[in-house]
Amino acid sequence: MAEFYQHLLNTLVLGGTYALLGIGLTLIFGIMNVVNFTHGALYTVGAYLTYLAVAALGLNFFLALPAAILGGLVLGAAIELVLLRPLRGSDIDTTMLVMIGAGIVLQSGTLWLFGGVAKAIPTPFPEAPLQIGPVSVSWLRLFVLGAALTLIVLTYVLINRTRLGLAMRAAFQDHDTAALMGVNVRLIYTATFAIGSSLAAAAGALLGPVYVVFPQMGGMAELKAFAIVILGGLGNITGAAIGGFILALAEELGAGYISSGYRDAMGFLIIIAVLVFKPTGLFAKAERIG
Amino acid sequence: MLEIRDLVCGYGHVTALKGLTIEVRAGQLVALVGANGAGKSTTLRAISGLVPARSGSIRLEGRDITGADPRRVLGHGIAHCPEGRRVFPQMSVAENLAMGAYLRRDKAGIAADLARIYGEFPRLAERRAQAAGTLSGGEQQMLAIGRALMARPKLVLFDEPSLGLAPNIVERMFSVIRAICDAGTTVLLVEQNAFAALELCDYAYLLETGRIVLAGKGADLIADPHVRDAYLGG
Repeated sequence: MAEFYQHLLNTLVLGGTYALLGIGLTLIFGIMNVVNFTHGALYTVGAYLTYLAVAALGLNFFLALPAAILGGLVLGAAIELVLLRPLRGSDIDTTMLVMIGAGIVLQSGTLWLFGGVAKAIPTPFPEAPLQIGPVSVSWLRLFVLGAALTLIVLTYVLINRTRLGLAMRAAFQDHDTAALMGVNVRLIYTATFAIGSSLAAAAGALLGPVYVVFPQMGGMAELKAFAIVILGGLGNITGAAIGGFILALAEELGAGYISSGYRDAMGFLIIIAVLVFKPTGLFAKAERIG
Repeated sequence: MLEIRDLVCGYGHVTALKGLTIEVRAGQLVALVGANGAGKSTTLRAISGLVPARSGSIRLEGRDITGADPRRVLGHGIAHCPEGRRVFPQMSVAENLAMGAYLRRDKAGIAADLARIYGEFPRLAERRAQAAGTLSGGEQQMLAIGRALMARPKLVLFDEPSLGLAPNIVERMFSVIRAICDAGTTVLLVEQNAFAALELCDYAYLLETGRIVLAGKGADLIADPHVRDAYLGG
């Protein structure tokens, strides 16, 4: 039983960051109808920004996360302004190809700048894990869980309780009518892409120190983000949050009780199962972004 | 108040408006009637900046607003209540009304207008927390009207407010629109229901395939043989 509790605890830690990844991707798809193939690369960039801040610049570890989020915001806004805005109105295939290209450029860019050798990010946390009854968890992972939950709540508040969030939901539901209400829809697209990108960067910044940082780390993260978004229903933020935790649970249980080799396969099994049995996602009936 | 001169616009190869000239005087309720596809909605969409003008001009109180984007047009005081109501279906009634006041910053004024609209449409007050998509067609139209008024506009554009509504609700809709005009807001109304619109309005234009073919007081248009034959069922 202790092992099971340990898996549940690990699920929470992993699920928090997965939820961030999924929310970022589903937000961009839901509002902009863009399949964001730079999401994984932004996750990688977030991890490298943390590495750069902590290991190279000697910045405080706790400042690295806001720095990575800010980096994600800026890079996301730049991608939207330079690549997506001119492509607005062109068909989804064109946009998709351009985004795949941008993802490759970003990934190759990190390889060029930092080399292919995996890097570890030093953290200020004690080595000894915290023992809670039968389960143990490292302080770093507790921090990751706390930070991820905080960011999820902040995103929720942003979308449901602020003027920007109201405009984002309006643009998502009917962009012409949102424009008639005075919403600057082009600005909303830029803001949405920047926020979605910053969530991917945040996830990378949080998981980077847990594992190691390398240029291809975003590839698997992106596929998992797609699994989460499909699981939760396209454009469904609450679905993506829950989907993140479900994927983490499936991975933990799959790795723990079947074989650790199956960990990364769980996401794909979920995609297949959802597409076969409930192609609109598990939470299609739940409220979507708006 | 609003002057449109020789307006030409269209979609792709289709020219929807072929030199449209109309005038809406302050305080009037002006109706734009005509058949499906005559260019009525396009006129309103061009005023709001949703459709670009190819040539011609649109002036509001002397100021040229041709080519202004929807945000700026609204900022100048023209609200647009679109065809098919277009409420935000997954937002609550209250949030829809808040969207109407999106550009405004005067909290006290917004609260006062909200209270007035809830007073006018008690059904909306009862359902303020409900998702707009779950309202009936008539309630959604009331919400769309309320949302347009929340901008506290000088001029409101109504696009087919009677579309798809039950006859008794249509009647109520038209009396609400008349009341809006009587309260001092200028109205440009686009309607397929020509008879109702002509009875309601102070002045009317008849639009046929992108051009104004007839203009005058509502009663004059009702009496016109061509209008009688083509639009009022003889």
